[in-house]
Amino acid sequence: MASDRSVRRHAWLLPIALLLSAEVHAIDAPQIHGFATQSFISTSTNDFFGRTSGSRHFDFTEIGINASYRPHNDLLFSGQLLSRRAGETDGGKIRIDYALVDYTVTDAVRTRWGLRAGRMLNPLGLYNETRDVAFARPSIFLPQSIYFDRVRDLAISSDGLYLYGERRFQGNELLWQIGAGYPRVGNEEIERSVLSRLMPGRLDSSDSFLGRLLLEIEGGRYLIGISGAKALLEYTPGSGDILRHGQVSFSPVILSTQYNGEYLEMTAEYAQRSFTYEGFGPYLKDNNFVGESAYVQGIYRFRPHWDLLLRYDVLYTDQTDRHGKDFARAHPGIPAFSRFARDLTIGTGWQYSPSLLLRAEFHHVVGTAWLTGADNPDPSAMDRTWDMFALLVSYRF
Amino acid sequence: METVPIPGRRRDRTIDRSPCIRRLVVPFALLFLVLADGLVPTAQADPVPSIYVNKTVGQTTVSRGALRTIFGMRLRTWNDGSPIRVFVLPDAHPVHIEFCKRALGIFPHQLRWAWDRLVYSGTGQAPIQVSTEEQMLRMIKTIPGAIGYLRRDPDDDDVHILEIE
Repeated sequence: MASDRSVRRHAWLLPIALLLSAEVHAIDAPQIHGFATQSFISTSTNDFFGRTSGSRHFDFTEIGINASYRPHNDLLFSGQLLSRRAGETDGGKIRIDYALVDYTVTDAVRTRWGLRAGRMLNPLGLYNETRDVAFARPSIFLPQSIYFDRVRDLAISSDGLYLYGERRFQGNELLWQIGAGYPRVGNEEIERSVLSRLMPGRLDSSDSFLGRLLLEIEGGRYLIGISGAKALLEYTPGSGDILRHGQVSFSPVILSTQYNGEYLEMTAEYAQRSFTYEGFGPYLKDNNFVGESAYVQGIYRFRPHWDLLLRYDVLYTDQTDRHGKDFARAHPGIPAFSRFARDLTIGTGWQYSPSLLLRAEFHHVVGTAWLTGADNPDPSAMDRTWDMFALLVSYRF
Repeated sequence: METVPIPGRRRDRTIDRSPCIRRLVVPFALLFLVLADGLVPTAQADPVPSIYVNKTVGQTTVSRGALRTIFGMRLRTWNDGSPIRVFVLPDAHPVHIEFCKRALGIFPHQLRWAWDRLVYSGTGQAPIQVSTEEQMLRMIKTIPGAIGYLRRDPDDDDVHILEIE
């Protein structure tokens, strides 16, 4: 693991060395962009990204800086460093969010295709790749049913190889990406989320696959997409572990649609997430369940630089036990409402300038399925119905 | 039935209204003015911006689809294999808004989202932004492979128009 990390560190130096050594024309100079976002979060009862029902309201901060450089028209190097503070789940440690090289094999009016290698943001749904950038997401928090922030690292990126392409016909465009690699794990919240609690052993990612097909009609006025992944996680037991060497397979499929008008934007996404547990022994029996998520979102741009958002977002951890009753019976002490969440969100945003964004939003939530165990260590102390108010200020360059 | 002029911009127009509607007119008119303020296209009377390219660019026509892909920063090579270099005005610039709506057939916020997706996922780059039409012309004149848009014909041998097919 340590040598793996140092290899990644050196891989990161490669584009920097190229940036420094290359004699570049000002027009083809490296591009550098970044963002810094601070949120204020207040919850009525349960905690989300910090002790938000108590006195800690500023524990959600996102800072990123990226660079990209095109030494040749076919070749692009890019990388982003990210620091993210999010309550108990994320301490703000600086990490490589992505670092990749992109080679375009064919770049023509009708067709384009190429290869990408390195660490990449997973093309899942419409928002996964830009989920940490306040300017590129429609609200302070993305619909948590699909873009869970609790297993963010697992969902967000993987180290591997991608093939991508675009096919254009009559003003419409078909964009595809397929890849193979290793998703990022190593965050306690992922272990807690996948195994229900922290265990002495280690969870590592294994060979995983991912892909997205997106149809853009009339230059993006209508979008239809399907994306999916098959991620494998391997568990290596620790000393005195009650679990045996086991495997978790996680396969989400997301359907996405969007209408983009001048003033109105409508988005809907539906996801099914299938989990299979195998080989953990008697304390975590082999099983298989399918979770379901969906949201419908409308954005009305009522004035230039202003928007209004309304969204209804639903998550069921197990579609055969939507209200968690069977689960609660089998797991005394864990409430049934920890297995679902229904979130009604209303929000507004004001882009004061191209580089400064302000947002405010209110959530009324029934259920706690997307809240983290780290922020809410005692499941029996959680409330079924809760509200959340959040403010955000973001700067970018 | 009485006829009353609508307060606001179009003073010459009148409508018929019944007493029941009368009470609603003022709040609705106010709401409309609040919402519509700024939605009214500011440069409607101006000509559609034309697309200009550097003289090194061999082609004289482009399809609307290809043009969208060029300004969406996903087509970077001219037909002859040379690199495309895209110049734009700021998102809120009236000429940019007109160009997006009438030449590309999309809205500036869609273009911005497309660039953000490229820039923040590391899979592409943003176009180069200039602040005025004068700067735009200077860039198109001097940078090989440059493409941009202008409201007026600059009458300059270093640039030529790219017609939409």
